[in-house]
Amino acid sequence: MPPPLDFLFPHEIGAQLIYSFVIIFCSLMIYRATKEMYELSSYKGIKYFRMSFLFFAIAYFFRYFINFFLVLFASPEANIFSGYIFLISLFVFMYSSAMAVFYLLYSVMWKKWNHSRQKIYLFSILSAIIAIIGTLFRGIEVSLLLNLIFLIFAFIILLIAYKDSKKKHKEKSLFAIYLLLFIFWVLNVIDILLPKFLQVYQILIYLASISLFMIILYKVLKKAGSD
Amino acid sequence: MTKRGKLEIMRDILLEIYNHHDSIKITPLLRKSNMSSAGFKGYYHELIEKALIKEISHHGNKFISLTEKGHRFLERYRTIINFIEEFEL
Repeated sequence: MPPPLDFLFPHEIGAQLIYSFVIIFCSLMIYRATKEMYELSSYKGIKYFRMSFLFFAIAYFFRYFINFFLVLFASPEANIFSGYIFLISLFVFMYSSAMAVFYLLYSVMWKKWNHSRQKIYLFSILSAIIAIIGTLFRGIEVSLLLNLIFLIFAFIILLIAYKDSKKKHKEKSLFAIYLLLFIFWVLNVIDILLPKFLQVYQILIYLASISLFMIILYKVLKKAGSD
Repeated sequence: MTKRGKLEIMRDILLEIYNHHDSIKITPLLRKSNMSSAGFKGYYHELIEKALIKEISHHGNKFISLTEKGHRFLERYRTIINFIEEFEL
């Protein structure tokens, strides 16, 4: 018979809880640290940057929720009620994660893309489509294809932003951080949709994701905190 | 004009008010801003709307003064610009 705590919080859930907590904490810290700068300046780029990390926090919260269901109920869809909650959580997770990536890309491209409210609606519609496809078709081919297309799109946008950047070559590390963030984000999504597919590399994905969020948080606190 | 330029213009207007002991009439402020009347009007209303400046009536004359938020904007301006540059926003 397992000890009571193991029953309530199996090891998988414990690891997921710590992982999700660190990422949610970093994302909300970034959101909080940039609050005053946005309130003072009303600068659109800061707004989109903040929104991106708010959506990352929401996505990771639901990611943990999904894992909780996967571990506690071997097959959440066996029970109608838990099945619905599982599907809704998966939809919110997919939607929030796509919105987070769109907002981060838009934060570096909004000036070139002629800022308009319609683009935000377009991102919402695209994210909803990605979420619906990801939720309804959870097969390996669909999941990999969907995320590969999304990653290629993000890579092209980052490449354009990188080329247009006025900074010197060695000062453009931000784009590498964003690219790695997107790659590990896609691996996170695949890990949720196909839990056994990346099981061997799970801990590496977690450590790399945490490192990336902490690097961004460090850069934000360094810049936002200095006068 | 880019948004970056917009922040600079906002800073310049606020700095002009600050340099005049936090109290200046609209006409000299417009003159010192080196902007067209229409351009200045847009910024002026935006600064009022964002509560960075306020209008004060004194003996029938209207003066412009910085709000607490306006002072904070001037203090944090360099940080905001550095942040925008760092994250290519």
